[in-house]
Amino acid sequence: MGPIRRLFRLGLGKPDVRQAVDWEIEHYLAEQTDRLVDQGRAPAEARREAERRLGDVAHLRRKILATDRRRVVMGKRGEFWEAARTGLRQALRGLRRSPGLAAAVVLTLGLGIGVNAAMFGVVDRLLLRPPDHVSRPDQVRRVLRDGDFFGQPSVISATTYPDVVDLRTIPEFVSAGAVSSRVPLTLGAGEGARQVMVVKATHDFFTTMGVQPLMGRFFDADDDRVDSPLTAVVGYEFWQAALGGDAGVLGRTLDLSGHRVTVIGVAPRGFTGIDLERVDVWLPAVPAQHAQDGSDRFLTARTYWWLRAVVRMKDGASVEAAEAQATALHINGREESRRDPDVRILTAPLIAAQGPNASNESKVARWVAGVSLIVLLIACANVANLLLAHGAGRRREVAVRLSLGVSRMRLLREMVLETLLLSILGGLAALALAHWGGSLIRRLLIPDILWTTSALSGRVVAFTALLSLAAGLIAGFGPALQSTRADLTRDLAEGGRGSSRARARVRGGLTVAQATLSAILLVGAGLFIQSVLQVRKLDLGLDVDRLVMAQLEFQGDEPDEPETTRMYAEAMDVAARLPGVTGVAATDVPFQWAHVEDISVPGLDSLPVPPGGGPFYYAVSPGYMRTMGLRVLQGRPLRDTDGEGSEPVALVNEAMARAFWPDQDPLRGCFHIDESEECTRVVGVVENASRAELQVDGILAYYLPLAQTGGAPAGMYVRTDGEPRALAAALAPALRSFSPRVRFAQVQTFRELLDPQTRAWTLGAALFTAFGALALIVAAIGLYSVLAFDVAQRTREIGIRAALGAQKARVLRGVVFTGTRLAVLGVLLGLGVSLVAARFAQPLLFHVDSAEPVVLVGVALLLMVVAVIASLVPGFRATRVDPMEALRAE
Amino acid sequence: MTMPLGPLPGTLELLVLKTLGAGSEMHGFAILEWILQSTDDELLVEDGALYHALHRMEGRGWLRSDWGISEKGRRARYYRLSAEGTKALVEEELRWTRYVDAVAKITPRESET
Repeated sequence: MGPIRRLFRLGLGKPDVRQAVDWEIEHYLAEQTDRLVDQGRAPAEARREAERRLGDVAHLRRKILATDRRRVVMGKRGEFWEAARTGLRQALRGLRRSPGLAAAVVLTLGLGIGVNAAMFGVVDRLLLRPPDHVSRPDQVRRVLRDGDFFGQPSVISATTYPDVVDLRTIPEFVSAGAVSSRVPLTLGAGEGARQVMVVKATHDFFTTMGVQPLMGRFFDADDDRVDSPLTAVVGYEFWQAALGGDAGVLGRTLDLSGHRVTVIGVAPRGFTGIDLERVDVWLPAVPAQHAQDGSDRFLTARTYWWLRAVVRMKDGASVEAAEAQATALHINGREESRRDPDVRILTAPLIAAQGPNASNESKVARWVAGVSLIVLLIACANVANLLLAHGAGRRREVAVRLSLGVSRMRLLREMVLETLLLSILGGLAALALAHWGGSLIRRLLIPDILWTTSALSGRVVAFTALLSLAAGLIAGFGPALQSTRADLTRDLAEGGRGSSRARARVRGGLTVAQATLSAILLVGAGLFIQSVLQVRKLDLGLDVDRLVMAQLEFQGDEPDEPETTRMYAEAMDVAARLPGVTGVAATDVPFQWAHVEDISVPGLDSLPVPPGGGPFYYAVSPGYMRTMGLRVLQGRPLRDTDGEGSEPVALVNEAMARAFWPDQDPLRGCFHIDESEECTRVVGVVENASRAELQVDGILAYYLPLAQTGGAPAGMYVRTDGEPRALAAALAPALRSFSPRVRFAQVQTFRELLDPQTRAWTLGAALFTAFGALALIVAAIGLYSVLAFDVAQRTREIGIRAALGAQKARVLRGVVFTGTRLAVLGVLLGLGVSLVAARFAQPLLFHVDSAEPVVLVGVALLLMVVAVIASLVPGFRATRVDPMEALRAE
Repeated sequence: MTMPLGPLPGTLELLVLKTLGAGSEMHGFAILEWILQSTDDELLVEDGALYHALHRMEGRGWLRSDWGISEKGRRARYYRLSAEGTKALVEEELRWTRYVDAVAKITPRESET
């Protein structure tokens, strides 16, 4: 008997595995029964015998099924990898065929993804990642105070020591701790002295944060009493850089601004507490503050706002309940007269940028991150555009393959894979950009933060990978769909050159979208640049550009007031002898300090409460006004003759003059300071000046002659007619060496003092401008490619027109018109969107209206110019079309 | 009469490969009968084991299968060699000959007894 041939295939599709086995066994039984019947058995008996021969049918079935299931799984996996391999091969082949396109796409995507990756590194640190080494950071919360603070409603993080003690009693908290802000202290003395950044921390701060020391220990309660000997925990970076990573550092003593402190521990690498800036040395809050103040008043004073508190919540404890208790304690802890029933104590996430008092930098970073996403969108639009053009060029090929029976799914898969491959390459380019750009952003724009990871952390890489895939899919899927939706007969007949109006519309739409997004970015850039200009132009009252501030620190015990005055007088002589110095002055309230005294004005029952606080007290040397660049508007400046024994006099600023003597001549006024007997006479009015911030209006201030107040200077100003940084560089060593009593002199240019305040705007202006320029370039390339492609497609039509006598100028105008029409549409849309969106950015701008006409008009003009330039190139190409050649090519 | 031999491990696969080796397409029962016939019933192939072997070989990629209607009008699963199966046939045959040769070297030949 020969093999039994199959008669025909079953059009059954595939039965499922289980059924297939049943069918096969059934077939065996039937055939075997037949055979046995042929051999002379009775049918029933034959059937039984057949079953017997198969043995345990259930067992066989199970065995076969197990084998089959394994195969199905393996088979699917195999098919997948097989398909992926072929797909990749084909995609690579496709890319090699058009290297120009591949390069353009990889570059565009690389830029788009790269800026995002670079920004992600920044945003991750600022906004997303909790500080390193904190255990269960979700349980740790900052404590904030929402209410009136010195006349201004604000959410602040400052709190007092007794308030922190109160927090410890709230049952919802596991613990509560607090830190001071970062202050510079001097390490060592004399020539080798240097500044270190110090944070004072209560002993329970570290337990609240749940951080473990790298070496030694953190403070305990015994280290944190008024009379405890001073101990210190050094930061890892300081330990490495300044102490050489000395393994025997524990027990070493450091000379910190004249205090001897014993190192008891090393903090883990990258630990910066609740802030992001580097901390060199941690000191125990109570003894350190005691040593600084020479008093323990801070332990009980509820007006001494030097700490910022953090708490660790118990699991499942109610935040609202805890806040309510903290609020009650805060209010009840104050004397009746100082109670503010509207004040609220809040808690916020440990990541400051997620809380209500986020820094301006982090807000700007958030915007810029959004902006970088827009850049990516523009890049995607560009890539989609390029791929559409590419797809249009391949229509004939696609049509042929479709007609040969290649499924559309498969073509789609191929094309999407091709873009995915491109986006992966783009992602690699992006990583290079992120590495370089990320470090640049960090170094230039946010230098104070201790960056604990490189610009290419694992999280950045993962983010980049994700973004690349998303970008590839977004940019690739649409064009792939487009180009496989082929009209076979037409595409074949037209040789793939057929112009599709729908496609042109899509590409035009993409171009408009790009122009829109670019316009939005450029408006943002313009607004931030305007802000920076406004800040720079801002009349601080002070003439700050050529000013240097210096403060002396003394060896050993603090000198008394006459001695301090003598030392500053000597220092001022030293400074005055330096080349280029045009003025020197001393004050007991240096910039960014504040001193307020109770004053009363004869004839006024109560004094108006100024919005900017104050009136602020300044005791200054006679040359102060001239050195600071403050104009005396009325009366006279302070003189050397205004000394001890002569009539007490004061200058008041304009705001104070207007607030206290609105309808009179302020020069006839006088006021009592701290309930003094004598009335201090106003002898002059000076212009308003900034006290600490970029705010001038509404700050009330008066200036007294130092000689009359009996106070000692706390700082001095030096004006130069040259470069202030050069003066600072010369002044610092001179001041540090003129007397053995001086341990250190802090010298800073005024711009350095102000820079942190302007950083948010500089950051915004720099990044918006960079990204805006990038977007503009990408969009210009997009417009160019659309028009160039359009011209190439219409070569024949243009040729015919030329043959019929169309003028070159008209042809050129036609192309440029097409381009600028798209751009105009985009600009209008973009400006419209910006007008709405910029309103949300208004709080981040400085004295700039979000609908600033200069910016809007400027952006519109810039975009139009770029659009015209981008259209001119393909336009000229169109004028050079040779009618004969264009027609012959048919 | 000698007792029929059970197949040595691994030989069942070789038998199936050989059966389908000529490029023919057969269902399980036909393969079974073919093996019995062409070995003059010397080899006792357990029916269930053959079916399991067929599935195992398909899993290994040596066989492909399809459903069809047999000459008797029954629904049957047909097997044929894949490209890999053809390769496997050559290899298995080679392995088998080497095995037989090796065994022959140490076992006394019939003619010498």
